[in-house]
Amino acid sequence: MTSMTVEAVQLTKHYGARSAVEDVSFEASEGEIVGLLGPNGAGKTTTIRLLTTVLVPTSGGFSIAGHPSTSATNIRRCIGVLPESSGYPAHQTGGEYLRFFARLFGLSRGTARSVAAELLAIVGLEERAESPISTYSRGMRQRLGIARALVNDPVVVFLDEPTLGLDPAGQAQVLDIIRAIAKGRDATVVLSTHLLPEVEEVCSKVVILNRGRVVASGSVGEVISGALIKQSAQLRVPLDLVERARNVLAGFTNLVVDQPAEQRDVLSLVVDRPGSETGPGSGDVMNAALAAITAAGIPVLRFELEGARLSDAFLKVTGEAAL
Amino acid sequence: MTLQVAPPEVGTSPDVMATAERRRGWLVVAEQESRDLWTSGRGLILLLLFSILLSAVTYLTSTNQALNFLEQRESVNLVLQLAVAVGVLVTLVVSADGISGERERGTLESLLVTPVSRRAIIAGKLIAALTMWFATFIVTIPYVWVLARGVGILGQAMALGLFVGTLVAVGLGSVGLLISGVCNSNKTSIAASLFLLLILFAPTQLPSGLPQGWFFEVLLRANPVASALAYISSMLVEGHSWTEDLSYLITPLLTALIAGGALVFAGPRLLRLTPGVSAG
Repeated sequence: MTSMTVEAVQLTKHYGARSAVEDVSFEASEGEIVGLLGPNGAGKTTTIRLLTTVLVPTSGGFSIAGHPSTSATNIRRCIGVLPESSGYPAHQTGGEYLRFFARLFGLSRGTARSVAAELLAIVGLEERAESPISTYSRGMRQRLGIARALVNDPVVVFLDEPTLGLDPAGQAQVLDIIRAIAKGRDATVVLSTHLLPEVEEVCSKVVILNRGRVVASGSVGEVISGALIKQSAQLRVPLDLVERARNVLAGFTNLVVDQPAEQRDVLSLVVDRPGSETGPGSGDVMNAALAAITAAGIPVLRFELEGARLSDAFLKVTGEAAL
Repeated sequence: MTLQVAPPEVGTSPDVMATAERRRGWLVVAEQESRDLWTSGRGLILLLLFSILLSAVTYLTSTNQALNFLEQRESVNLVLQLAVAVGVLVTLVVSADGISGERERGTLESLLVTPVSRRAIIAGKLIAALTMWFATFIVTIPYVWVLARGVGILGQAMALGLFVGTLVAVGLGSVGLLISGVCNSNKTSIAASLFLLLILFAPTQLPSGLPQGWFFEVLLRANPVASALAYISSMLVEGHSWTEDLSYLITPLLTALIAGGALVFAGPRLLRLTPGVSAG
């Protein structure tokens, strides 16, 4: 049984008349990776700073690993944080840096030394442990920051833009580490990022913020369905079986089937009324349609889903033209 | 890739850990800040510059002493005053970087999410800044020893310098951290701190001292640096007992108590990502 580790209830933060975060509520359980998404200025970093006790909420509350927001020290003891654009003391070595933070969490010198060595190995920096941080690449610094976030064996890890400015290989390395944190240690990971394909890949839950408010939340599938994105697909079958395929698909009342004039062996499928309360979701309709085609003995030469990615839902719910 | 990090201090209860954190947090911060200060070269460069200045002043005073322009006690007083003034200056500069510098370098937030209290972090930073004063004092010892030979005031001068200098350094170091907490940028913080020290130090450096009269006496006694240096002077040059002009130490003592108290009181509100005590 998994237990609730993060619970935010109507979290609000005002700076004077300006509202940075308004009524943000969501939950997360152990081992879960929650993607905190939103355009720039949506309130992702403020939300993370509230949950990590760096900022005090104007109203609302939260609990981390069962500790209420009023118990800041207990919360800090069981969280790990990689802040956005985190700085590093250039002249310190990676090992020295981790040992310092381990000792701030009450570890003895000896334990801090062994924890630092172990974490450096986990993030692939063991050979550079005694090099000054000034000689580290951006990716290495991010990995060092993640290692620092783990020195206290946290229940919840907050990572604010951990892949910012990294090349694809660096991004993949960081995402591997994030998966390992959630799976290997049953820690909850709250991940703020702009990399939507990666969020689809690693996150079990997403919370989309826009102008300080939650505009969508749930599993990736739920968010896509909830955004009422029309899912479409291109189905190619042998030319002589197109009519038979149309007849099979005619049984699906919420599926609009069309045939592009220039491609006579292709059927264009669009799910009407996606995410309706009573009917099946877009994905379910497409799965059923595909199953019916194959069950009717019609060979599928090509099947391409379109228009139901997280990025489509993100753009729809945030009303943004681009990230 | 698997992460299997053993929980910290297996078998230690959270309460015991919390007590250990409270007890050691300031010490861990002070230790690391001091190491950063000295291994980064910043502290050593400031100390080297101080040594060069002190060497030049000692040479000039000993020359004047040999030519009978300056009494031996006055030479010791001059060098000790310089040590206190410069020691306080470097302490102020280092403490003025304490909070605003962390903000600018983006390293503050990582500190704020540790269980160490804000007050413990500030205490650690103040102690690290005070190591600058203690280092300048240690460098001063051989110079005073050379100048004080034969008049039997070496012990008195050293004890006096250590006591008065530490009092002023604690006060102005605390002021530096307060300024650092409320300033928008590190440059502003250091500039404001230097400006403050200049205001406090300049009156003590007038060739003939402050003019006579009650107004200037009040001005002297209201200034923690000037009154501390006046106390040193009254004991070393005029040969007063340590209790005779104790009133000169009221302002340095009050500065240390008020600024230190303000740090303890406002510390948690100063150590934030945005400057000022009301920022949130």
